[in-house]
This record gives sequence, structure tokens and C-alpha cells, in this order.
Amino acid sequence: MPLDTSAYSLALLRVDGRRWNELRRIHAQIRTQAAADGSSYLEMGHTKVMCVVTGPSEPGPRRGTAGAGAAGASKAVAEVAVSVVVAGFSSVDRKKRGRNDKRNLELQSTIANALAASLHTHLFPHSVIQVSLHVLSQDGSLLAALINAATLACVDAGIPMTDYVVACTAGSTSTYAAGDESADPLLDLNHQEEQELPGLTVATLGESDRVAVLVCESRVQVGRLEGMLAVGVDGCKQVREILDRVVRDKGKRMVLEGTVAKGEGLEDMDLD
Amino acid sequence: MAPNQHVLLSPAELAYLHEALSLTPPIRPDGRAPTQFRPLVAETEILPGTNGSARICFADGTEAIVGVKAEVERTRGYHGDDEEEGGEEKREQEREGQDEWVELTVEIPGYREDDASTAFLAAMLSEALLADGGFAKKLWINRRFHWKLFLDIILISPPLSYPLPLLSLTTHLALLSTRLPRLKSEGDEDPFFDDDWAAAPYLYPQGTATTRPPITLLVMAVGRNIIFDPTKEELAVADVVLAVSVGEAATDASSTKGKGKAPGRSLRLLSVRTVDPPSRVTPPGVPNATNSAYGIAASAQKQPEARTVEAQAVEGVWRAPRGGAKPAVMAALVQKVLERGGVADEVLDALDAVELG
Amino acid sequence: MADRRRVNGPVGATIPPVFEDEDVQVQATQRTTRSRAPNGIRKMYLKTGVTPSASGSAYLEIETSGKDGVSGLKLSCTVHGPRSLPRLSPFSPHIILSTHVKFAPFATKQRRGYLRDPSERDLGTHLEAALRGAIIADRWPKSGVDIIISIIEGDQGRETSGAQGDDTWDMMNALSGCITVASAALADAGIDCVDTVAGGVAALVRGSGENDTARIVIDPIPSEHERIEAACCIAYLPARDEITNLWFKGDMPDHDMGIYSELVQQGIQASKLANRVLVESLGETVK
Repeated sequence: MPLDTSAYSLALLRVDGRRWNELRRIHAQIRTQAAADGSSYLEMGHTKVMCVVTGPSEPGPRRGTAGAGAAGASKAVAEVAVSVVVAGFSSVDRKKRGRNDKRNLELQSTIANALAASLHTHLFPHSVIQVSLHVLSQDGSLLAALINAATLACVDAGIPMTDYVVACTAGSTSTYAAGDESADPLLDLNHQEEQELPGLTVATLGESDRVAVLVCESRVQVGRLEGMLAVGVDGCKQVREILDRVVRDKGKRMVLEGTVAKGEGLEDMDLD
Repeated sequence: MAPNQHVLLSPAELAYLHEALSLTPPIRPDGRAPTQFRPLVAETEILPGTNGSARICFADGTEAIVGVKAEVERTRGYHGDDEEEGGEEKREQEREGQDEWVELTVEIPGYREDDASTAFLAAMLSEALLADGGFAKKLWINRRFHWKLFLDIILISPPLSYPLPLLSLTTHLALLSTRLPRLKSEGDEDPFFDDDWAAAPYLYPQGTATTRPPITLLVMAVGRNIIFDPTKEELAVADVVLAVSVGEAATDASSTKGKGKAPGRSLRLLSVRTVDPPSRVTPPGVPNATNSAYGIAASAQKQPEARTVEAQAVEGVWRAPRGGAKPAVMAALVQKVLERGGVADEVLDALDAVELG
Repeated sequence: MADRRRVNGPVGATIPPVFEDEDVQVQATQRTTRSRAPNGIRKMYLKTGVTPSASGSAYLEIETSGKDGVSGLKLSCTVHGPRSLPRLSPFSPHIILSTHVKFAPFATKQRRGYLRDPSERDLGTHLEAALRGAIIADRWPKSGVDIIISIIEGDQGRETSGAQGDDTWDMMNALSGCITVASAALADAGIDCVDTVAGGVAALVRGSGENDTARIVIDPIPSEHERIEAACCIAYLPARDEITNLWFKGDMPDHDMGIYSELVQQGIQASKLANRVLVESLGETVK
């Protein structure tokens, strides 16, 4: 079913009733799993992902890849290994994606590179940080959701990092073919919009304007790109606020419950 | 794989654990009773995009999610345009399912999809599900079409203990919460369904007098003790490990009342499989008598018969068990699972208490 | 997932032609019934040392039920090892067992691919559990052994329809053969075992008649019975009176536990009979 973009110009409302600069509901939890070093659950609209971080730990014996095992041992920084599992029931039509699916591999390497750049991997030589992501439900902005969930889980695991790596998507109100130079940029695309409209995924380091990941897989006029990017970076700042809130709330609750001791120098921390 | 993953216990620790578990009553490392399960957190219908879903979190942190999705598929092998009106009765008789209508996949992080142990887990779970032949029958729409059910079982956490009971219980809950759209078409015409999800009937109708999906329990024996829901460490010293699948028999109110049977559900045994106990690949201990570090063995090493020592068990020194299990032990394990008002009953009661939706 | 590296057969299913012949008509409608005693197994032929290049090997053939179009079971097993593990693999205090069971593409009515499918992997896991109990594994630290079984001909009648759903019962028969032949090959390779282990199958069957009661037979042929209610496959060590692998499938109410234990007993019986053949064959080789 093609997306009806004509309605947008009338009411300036998108198919799901949002304005151009509105994010979908983001709901996140950290420490969802008792046994893992770090874990998180993130919903961006109907996109639902879970993340479990194990490590930093000693690399286990590698099966099969004998050469890689020897190379890994000599590394001065921790290796970030990401695995993405897309559940068969995650999309509307059941589709089983193999583990060596090319799109999956690309997602994995993008996330691994983004995390490796912002985690202080040099503090953990000869070790591995295993990030496993599970996609339970997909409705657009998959890469962005995965990056955000991975960041939260790394925070939970207590791995030192420069700042949150936060991501979101941005798009444009009309298709490439329409050639409409004055099209408005859109924030946080859902699945329907992602199929029809040009879009990009951008991840930044915290509130700074430093872009960590930029993926644009669709065709779009250069003139529109800048606007989209600006909206995307702005969205990342909003996402960071939300994620930060989640982490702080959880920390506060843990102090109140007595799970962890209040850190030093935090005597004046506000605990309501 | 999962049962044989390396447990970082020394031979001395293994010997200690084995001894503690062989006492009467056994002393488990976490202080549980032999038939006691670990606490768990369960929820169902967590994913609106599926026909049914469930999530279970064990207290040790292992977590699994199961999603069920159904698709309409054309039944192969029906080439009849013979429009003979057989009436409703005949139609009911024709209702038969095929095992291919259910596809079950298990996904365990860190293991390849085609790993033998993953295949073993999937085979075990689907075997129990299809054992009575009644399950596939539920997927029949009409003579030309049927539902194809996809069960995707995902272990979210790294496999800390043998995941079989967790996956089985999660699958049970997911199937209980599974609903298929209400059929509006009649007879053998192309099926169309009611849009109203609230009207969709459950695959396993809610109520008392219905059968429920089977559950698979892991049970092990150490010495004379039978232990349920073993942890990874306990499995490392098991003499025998069985996976037993049980289903609930359709409760026929009249027959149970008439005979005045013991309270509890009547269960059906659906499948039993031996799970290769990881204890067989644990490192053995070295008795002091043959340990060269203690000096005595300097002479023993020269003796050509030093090998014969391995045959004798030394008290307190761990040796990986050899051979299998006595038939009587195996029978006792199965008997214990099926006991009326026993563990299987308790687990089914607990799962009953999980609210749907 | 198309297998592009090999020349494969036709994609669609091919059904051997069934000609409209009077004899065939009779055969198709009349199910052959079991002529053996309920507690007798089929004759089998076992020979060890058939593959000179392997360190141990064995060949097992189980006779057909004496009827055209029903094939028996033909298995060949090779054992490679014990040999040292690859240099980079971690230390193991025991011998590492790896089992591969593969149906030949033409072994069953439904053509099998070249890659192992889940059911074959499942058989491999069962076999591994059965053999691991028999092998004295700590005599070979840091070593591995590969056990490879090819099922050259599966135990399937030609005229039974594929949609009968008796696949598992065939699998149980195949597994019991695999266990017996692998045990012979292990002995041929000179790997120390606590005892020879053999497989046996017992089943609870029901005839086609209305008033036929269920009875227990050993070594069942699925095509000979109207309905198999339950079956179990057992790997048994006779000298120690121990079971190393048990696989039961069926539908058994809890008040029928007597039948279950009877089934297991009969499975052990079948295994004992197979073991006798196994021991005799090994004895011949020694002479």
C-alpha cells in the first residue's frame, strides 16, 4: 500500500499523527536481566529490541577460526563483538533471516564500529565485549533502536565510555522522484515512511554535534540532505535526554532500594 | 554444547558436590528441596505483532522469548473438485493434521543454527508437541487450506544452564496465549477471517476441560536421589539426565469422579529422551597414592602396572562416571515425574496462575 | 538455499510409477502383517573391517520383511581415530567424540539432500549419548575420534504413503541400527569400551481390526502395523545391565505406567538379541 503523502501538506500531520519534529514514544529499561553484565530493553514506537552485554571478559576458545584467535590475543584494546538476531516473528510477515544475512552483517559491523569508537577499549586489553542484540518487533528505525539499546546496556555493564552514542532517523516529506526542493525534513521514521521516503540514520556522541554513524541508503537530492541531518542530530539530543533520564531513574531507585551504596560526593544527590 | 559446556569446577569440588547430592536428603548448593524449582517471572502476550508470545525469566538470569506466528497455507495433496456433500459429520472426520504444519526453530546465542545440540532441543520440543497428533489437527481450516504455525524460540541470555526446561515452559505459555482469527467463510471456499481480534478464539480454548500444550521437564539422578530442575553445576555431577515430556490428559469429569482417584491431574507421558550428562567429560581427580607431587609415586611411575590403578575408585576423588544407568533408575525418574500431585502437576498449576494478556 | 556446487536431481518430488496391475492393487490395499513372533528381531548381517583406510569400520544389513518393495536397513560405519586434536583446541582430559549420521540421498522415499538436515543431526546426538556411556573416555586424553555412519538404505516400504506420519518410527529403527554398527566399528578400531552396546526398538502396536487390543512387539516395521501408539529405542550394555540411551515417544496415560516399563523391558530384550549378533560377529573377526 503506497504511503499517502498528499495529506501531509494539508494538515502537516504524518500518517501516525505526529508533527515533523516529533519522536515516537521511547520507552527504555536497563538491568532487565539479573545474570548479564549489562542488559537493556528499548522501544521506539513499535520497534522493540533487547540487548545483553557480556564482558569485558577473556576471549573464550574460538572454534574454527584458528588464525583470528591468535590475532585477538595480541590486541592492545578490547574487541567489541556484536551479534544481531532478528526474530522470525518480528516483522508483519514471518521471515527468517539467517545469521549470515548480508544486512545483518552490515548492522553488526556498523554498531561494533560505533561502540568501539566511544568505549574506552584501551582499558581492557586482551578482552572481548560481547554485545548481543535481539530484535523482537520491527517498525522502522531499526539501526537507531539497536544503537540506543546497545549504549544503554554498555552503561549498565559499567564499561567506561566518552558519552552516550545516541541515534535516530530523519527523512524528508516527499520522494526523490518528486524533486521537491522545499520538502520538510521529518524526524524518526516508522516502517511505512521508511519504505517510501528518503531517510538516513544518524548517531551522535551525546549532546555534541559529533556524528558517530551516518547511514543513508536511499536516494535524495543533496540540497535536502543538510536539513535532514540537522533534524536528525537534533533528534539525537532529545533521545539522549530520554536515555539519560532512564539511567538516572534506575540509579536513583537502586540507591533507594539499597542495592548499591550511594557514591562518594553524592551526598547532596536529589532523591525524590 | 549446552549440556556439555565447560563448568569451571575442580575435581575436588565435583567430588564434594556429588557427595552432597547423594546424601539423603540431598543437599543442593542453593538449598532447594530436590523437587523444588527455581523461581521464575513469566508474562504473556508481550508482542502485539504475533499470534501469541511469552517471556520467562528464571531467577538465575536466563531468559527466553517465544513468538508464534501463523500463516494460511494451501494444503498440498488435495486435488479433488469432487463436490460430494458429506455433511458435517464427514467433514469432522476429514479433519486431520500433518506434522509439517508446525515449524519450530530454536535460537541460542553463540551457537550455530545448525548445531547438533540446537537441533536436538528443537526436535525434543516439537516431538512432545506433535506426539498426540491432536495439535496439528487444530490448524486445519478446510480441506484446501490450513494454518502453518511458526514457533520461534529465542534464548535471550547466554546459556547459563541447560535451557530445555526454560524453553519448554516459555513455549507452553506462548501456545496458551496463541489466538487465530475467527473463520468467517464456510466449507472449502477460500478462507476469510473476522477482522476483530477480540473475537479471535484461542488455539487452546480457555476453560477447564481442555488439553494444554505439553511441558518438558529436566530431571536427573545422583546416586539414589532424584533431582528436578538441576543447575549447570548440579548437571556436572549427574549420573543420568532425562528430559521427560508430559501432557495433560483431557479431564473426563465422569470417569475421574466415578473411580475416586487420587487428587491431581491425570497426565500423559509423551516422550522421554536421555540427555548426555556433562559429567562424563569432567576432569578426573588424581588420588594421592598416584600423585607424583606427593613423592610416593616416583616409584609407582616405574611400575608398568600403574595403569591398573585407574580402575579402582578412591573415596573422595572424583572420577567421571562410566557406563549408563540401571533400568530401574530410569523407570524411577519417569515415575517420579508422572506422580499424581507431583512435580509436573505443580508446574502446570503454576503456569495456570500466569494471567493471559 | 539451493546447493549450486553439485549436480542435483530434479527439484520437485518424483514418485515411482505405480502401474494399474491387479497384483499391485491387492498389495496396495492389503497391509502385510507381521509374521515373526512378537519377541523376535529380524535377521541381520554384521561384518567389521570393511573399509581398510579407516581405523575401524563395520557394515550392517537387516533383512527385509520378505516382501517385494520393502527395503531393509543397510548401514556402513567408519571410525577415524583416536587421533590428536588440532593444535589450537583446548585441553581435554577425555577423548572427544564426534558423530555424523547421514542418509544417502536415495536412502528414503523422500530424497535427502547432501547437507545434513535437523533430523540427521538429532540422530547424531542420540548416537553420541549412547556411545559416550560405553567408551572408556579417560584413556585417551587430548584426542578425538570421528564416527561416521552412512545409511545407504533406509527401512521404508515403497507403497506406504508418505503422509502417514510414521517418520519417527523409522528414525528409531535407524538409530538402533546406528548404535549397533557404531559399537562394532569402535571395537574394530580397538577403542576400549566397558561393553558392546547395541540398539533395540520395541513398540506398542494396534492392528487394523476394530477389537484388536494393543500389543507390544520388538523390532517393528511401521508398514506392517496399522497404528503404532508408542515406541522406544534403547541402547543397552548387557554386562553391566545399564542403559546408555533411551528414547521414548508416544502417548501414554499415567495409569499405563505398567505398559511403559514393559515397553522398556522389551526394548532391552531387543537390544540383547542384537548384541548377541554383535558379539558373534566380533568373535568371528578375531578368529
